[in-house]
Amino acid sequence: MATPADFNGYTPTWCPGCGNFGIGVTLRAALAQLGFSPSSVFVSFGIGCSGNMNDFLNAYASHGLHGRALPVAIGMKLANHMMKTIVVAGDGDFYGEGGNHFMHGARGNHDITVIVHDNRVYGLTTGQAAPTARKGYKSKSTPGGIIETEIDSMSLAITQGATFVAQAFAGNTIHMVEIMKAALSHKGFSLVNVLQPCVTFNKINTYQYYVKNAYKLEDVHDKANINKALLKAQEVHAEKFPLGVIYQIEKPAFHEQLTQLEESTLVSHQNSSYILDELLADFR
Amino acid sequence: MKQFLWKIGGEAGFGILTTGIFFSKIAARLGYHIFDYIEYPSLIRGGHNAYDVLVSDAPVFASKSIIDLLVCLNKDTYTLHNKQLIPSTLVMYDPDEFDFEEDRIKIKVPFKKILKELNGQAIMKNTIALGASLALLGTDLDELNNILTGQFSRKGDEIVNFNKQFAKAGFDYIYNNYAGQKVELLEKRENEKQLVLTGNESFALGAAIANCRLYVAYPMTPSSSVLSVLAAWQNKMGMVVRHAEDEISVINTALGGSIAGVRSAVGTSGGGFALMVESISFSGVAEIPIVIFLSSRPGPATGMPTWTEQGDLLFTVHAGHGEFPKIVLAPGTVEEMVELSVKAFDLADIYQVPVIVMSDMLLSESHKSMNESFVNGLVSTYKPDRGQTINKTDAKPYLRFKITDDGISPRLIPGQKGVFYQANSYEHLEDGHTTEDSSERIKQADKRDRKTATYLKNHFKSPEVIGDIDRSEIVFVSWGSTRGVLLEAQRDLQMKNISTSILHFTHMFPLDSNQITPYFSKQKRYILVENNAQGQFGKLLRMETGVTLSEKILKYDGRPLLREEIMSYVTKK
Repeated sequence: MATPADFNGYTPTWCPGCGNFGIGVTLRAALAQLGFSPSSVFVSFGIGCSGNMNDFLNAYASHGLHGRALPVAIGMKLANHMMKTIVVAGDGDFYGEGGNHFMHGARGNHDITVIVHDNRVYGLTTGQAAPTARKGYKSKSTPGGIIETEIDSMSLAITQGATFVAQAFAGNTIHMVEIMKAALSHKGFSLVNVLQPCVTFNKINTYQYYVKNAYKLEDVHDKANINKALLKAQEVHAEKFPLGVIYQIEKPAFHEQLTQLEESTLVSHQNSSYILDELLADFR
Repeated sequence: MKQFLWKIGGEAGFGILTTGIFFSKIAARLGYHIFDYIEYPSLIRGGHNAYDVLVSDAPVFASKSIIDLLVCLNKDTYTLHNKQLIPSTLVMYDPDEFDFEEDRIKIKVPFKKILKELNGQAIMKNTIALGASLALLGTDLDELNNILTGQFSRKGDEIVNFNKQFAKAGFDYIYNNYAGQKVELLEKRENEKQLVLTGNESFALGAAIANCRLYVAYPMTPSSSVLSVLAAWQNKMGMVVRHAEDEISVINTALGGSIAGVRSAVGTSGGGFALMVESISFSGVAEIPIVIFLSSRPGPATGMPTWTEQGDLLFTVHAGHGEFPKIVLAPGTVEEMVELSVKAFDLADIYQVPVIVMSDMLLSESHKSMNESFVNGLVSTYKPDRGQTINKTDAKPYLRFKITDDGISPRLIPGQKGVFYQANSYEHLEDGHTTEDSSERIKQADKRDRKTATYLKNHFKSPEVIGDIDRSEIVFVSWGSTRGVLLEAQRDLQMKNISTSILHFTHMFPLDSNQITPYFSKQKRYILVENNAQGQFGKLLRMETGVTLSEKILKYDGRPLLREEIMSYVTKK
């Protein structure tokens, strides 16, 4: 059995107090508790402070392009659906640059767990407003206050076909580890939006802010009810942040609907299995 | 050698393209070689469609201008192609629809009347015309009937027979009224078994042979039929085909599959390729094998979607920010397409680089006949060469980006217990971790660069010399699809006692200056031939080898070069 320490890579270079520490610790703990090892998971990282976890987490991984972590993960899952596949990305990366992939990945219900570090700013480029920034948020790129409303990513995921949507707070790792384990155990597209203070660039959405505005979902919340889930998700516009599993239903994952993957993974086929004559028949 | 050009035209949306491929297949089944060419607007209905099929008893590689039999399903067909007609051209048309004055051999077939008598729909005019064409060309209806049976058998005998009667009506009409005009051209003859396929289909076939397991694409003319062919084959082959939301997702999905260890490919045209460019750079630095099929059409931007051009060569060669090795191949015929697509998958694995296989609308959508034995031969001898792709490593620690003399590091398929690594788009250390260290950066950049030298030494192929370069006055310099028209022009010029040779490039980038420059050191008239406006290969050749070509035949109106254009250029000087 692997321990959380087996997943420890390089010492993180995040700013002291950064919410990413909590997310990193939690992910390692969740993976170890579920019996995974660095050799049995594939993590596709985005680009940004969150993506820099690539060097701090031991795993088979891709540290690809800004916005494109999800399609790389989809490719991995199609080629080797036995591999536990995870996306680690930031809010600008996943909801901004990669927004199109987010929508379509959810539609496909690909069996991938997506952990979005939602700090409402672009940290690595020194603090411009992210799509998650609250309307009116002033930043270097939006000195007059951002005109767009904050993205409601959880509603987007739910309405586009994601089968697991949850929210966690980087300041509460004990709660977050349970949510992450639930997400990693879910079969299908799972999104965990993690509220994460950026201590360097975001002076508004601080630990204190979330302690005040976030709350744990009551046990009676009916997570299979799409309408109730949407109401919870939309509370973001009222500066209320429910924590926990907001939505979860069972549906076949994308790869489970491909008959050519019924017997084995693509990567385990060593040789072509076509009958040449059948292919050539089209050309005679 | 006899060549005969059959052409059919009519309004878009009325089955012209299907009729054309039927004619090509019938000719090939009867023992002939064909090359066909389609003209259609970027529309589903309305506008003009035309399809020509060049038939010969010897292999053919490009169309010709003069039409021998023109089938006009409407008046536009006659008007639009009139300048390709001569007095000996047979023109089949319905005198109830239009007539003409010029001196041609008139074959009047009452399409409308026959349709009405048999209660047919407008689309069945094609079948009448096909039956009539076959009668005029001196063969029977057997093969057409076989094809119609194959096409409609799922819908039941009644539908099959309903369609066959239109073929018979057209056939009988000629038999009864124009027996004297018959050209004995399509009499069944002995020939090797032929396949009839396009460049796109050839790429799909190559991918199947090479054991490509993941194909991802977003439809874009003229590359889309690769997607539809492989999608139809995926279950037969145990392959996965993903039609993703955009081209960025397309290439990143394929890169994910490749990281997982399966051969992966994507296909697109210029605009979609432009969206993929950042990811090509990712493939370059993270050393992830990928095959990219790029079928060009005239740009810039949306350009002329259904027409042809070789306008993307320099863009392709330079695709991707930063410096990294890549390989660009450009087949010129369907045979080369099958062969080089298979090779592309090997090269991608061996060098762990992006390999781009270039095509254009002309090669992608024109059918050509190919000996079936060619494919069988290739399949029977082919074994995928996956280079240093490994399932297991004993190295401790395993270094994904290990510095080696040839630049190639063993690439572990993820999964081995006790090991892990990352495909990193940041500059990295040998073990994959991110670095900004000056000397580590230089080591990795040099390592990647050494793969180019290794490739040039082991797999680069000099241009094929077609003809005798020492005895020819003129040396054509070609790449990709211009091969076909030059082969035809070469034959025609030989008949006028002008001897030529062709330097045909397929391995476009990187180029090996040492191997190439000797071809250009002779006292000859070198003529660069390209289907673009700027002579892009000429520029590339100069950049890579210092060779400068001053004589150029360039065409960029969206149409393929014609052998007559080559002839007139050569003879006017």
